[in-house]
Amino acid sequence: MSQEPIIELRDVTFRYDNRPVLEHINMTLNPGEFLGLVGPNGSGKSTLIKIILGLLKPQEGEVRLFGQPLSRFKDWSRVGYVSQKANSFNTGFPATVFEVVSMGLFGKMGLFKWMGKKEKEKVYQAIETVGLSDYTRQNIGQLSGGQQQRVFIARALVSEPDLLILDEPTVGVDAYSVAQFYQLLDNMHRKMGVSLVLVSHDIGVITSRVDRLACLNKKLFFHGDPEDFSEQQECILNQMYGHDVHVIEHNH
Amino acid sequence: MIQDIIQFPFLQNAFLSGILIGFIGPVIGVFLVVRRLSLIADTLSHVALSGVAAGLFLQNKVVQPINPVYVGMVFSIAGALFVENLRRWFRYYQELSLPIVLASATGLSVVLISLADGVNRDLFGYLFGSLIAVSRTDLMIVALIALLVLVMVVLLYKELFYLAFEEEAAVTSGIPKNTIHFVFVLLVALVIAVSMNIVGILLVSAMMTLPVAAGLQLAKSFKQVFVYAVLFSQVSVLTGLVLSYYFDLATGGTIVVLAALLLAGVIFVKKMVTWAKGSPRSPRKIRQV
Repeated sequence: MSQEPIIELRDVTFRYDNRPVLEHINMTLNPGEFLGLVGPNGSGKSTLIKIILGLLKPQEGEVRLFGQPLSRFKDWSRVGYVSQKANSFNTGFPATVFEVVSMGLFGKMGLFKWMGKKEKEKVYQAIETVGLSDYTRQNIGQLSGGQQQRVFIARALVSEPDLLILDEPTVGVDAYSVAQFYQLLDNMHRKMGVSLVLVSHDIGVITSRVDRLACLNKKLFFHGDPEDFSEQQECILNQMYGHDVHVIEHNH
Repeated sequence: MIQDIIQFPFLQNAFLSGILIGFIGPVIGVFLVVRRLSLIADTLSHVALSGVAAGLFLQNKVVQPINPVYVGMVFSIAGALFVENLRRWFRYYQELSLPIVLASATGLSVVLISLADGVNRDLFGYLFGSLIAVSRTDLMIVALIALLVLVMVVLLYKELFYLAFEEEAAVTSGIPKNTIHFVFVLLVALVIAVSMNIVGILLVSAMMTLPVAAGLQLAKSFKQVFVYAVLFSQVSVLTGLVLSYYFDLATGGTIVVLAALLLAGVIFVKKMVTWAKGSPRSPRKIRQV
């Protein structure tokens, strides 16, 4: 893998109807890093993710993915994305776990092609990775919230991405499943070398797991080592929220 | 019956095109229903009606021998493109584009019908479907369009499926949403236009939704929805054609009533099965306190 940054944001500013949502964001993600992106509700976290994914266009600044400007980037199968909405998709949709995970390959396969033996094998493998082999032919609506979330991770994994972006993936998932979920992320990060971006509003949970932390509230208030963050935590949070904040530590 | 079909070419035309429409209607309908766009079928069929009315007007007044169905087809394709544009215009009220187009098209139809000397037997056939309306040329057109629709759906199956399930994720994986959506809406318009003769304009959308609604009750996977929907659709089309021939009933209406009865039957049986299993999910009355 080349050593150029996986994500590079230079001076990115985004306004929504003239209301600034993100101001002058500079951020990089190097290969193999696990970045936690935290910030309060409405801080622009999801907007930033959408900009990285090319769903929104910033008014100013430059975004590069794998060293290429976003406008020329075509290799979307290198990027896996698990959205916040994965929790609130239409649960009545008639699709099996197998069918949903297959979707992860569609972009890579290109138009006018059908799944062959090789693709099906990959799908089975991804389902096994997230530990849902017993549910392959089950309707996705019948699974629990935690299981559904794992289906969406399998879908993001199946194209063997180099970068996985997860936007608040544990919202509405029970504590046991959340612990399992972090275990899974750890595995992917350590064993498979996948670079990760994890968006969360829960600073306490993610500081202990990530290599780098970015704190966002319209502007980027911190971007660096989680350990440095812990030392300056109060100062940064006070700046960010504009008042005193106490962080509740969880130890899952 | 079989003897009659061999004897009368018009019956052959009706049966063959019925079978074809009974196939492509629900296939397209599955995607409409899961994307919660079933109303597009209704809207475009009313646009097709205004096209047919325009065709009848030209036929009556301008003395040109023109087939109103083709005018209807052109109109419904134009209507499909118009709906798409309007959806972008009303970004926050996308569904509003449907009643706007539906109402305007109905208004235009009524005006054109009055200009074309009002409701006659031809118009009645287009509105409610007719056994004798299908010519050999019509059948050929239906066959061509059915082939086109089938090929396109097979080729674009995975893109249509992903976009229907989760549009944002589909787009981030690199699927060209606008192009696919555009092609799909054109297919919807074509299916509606060719279904007019048999099922009738006012009932076309039923062919795209009722069998799918029944299929959804039973299917365990997305692919199974197609199998069940086509099965229910074929049963209602074939039975409907036979009944309407023997009892001289309106063809489209008979087909649609049968499709509705099938749906009701499926729901009833499903409820009975759930009830018999004693599943905790079976509906129970909750007493208000």
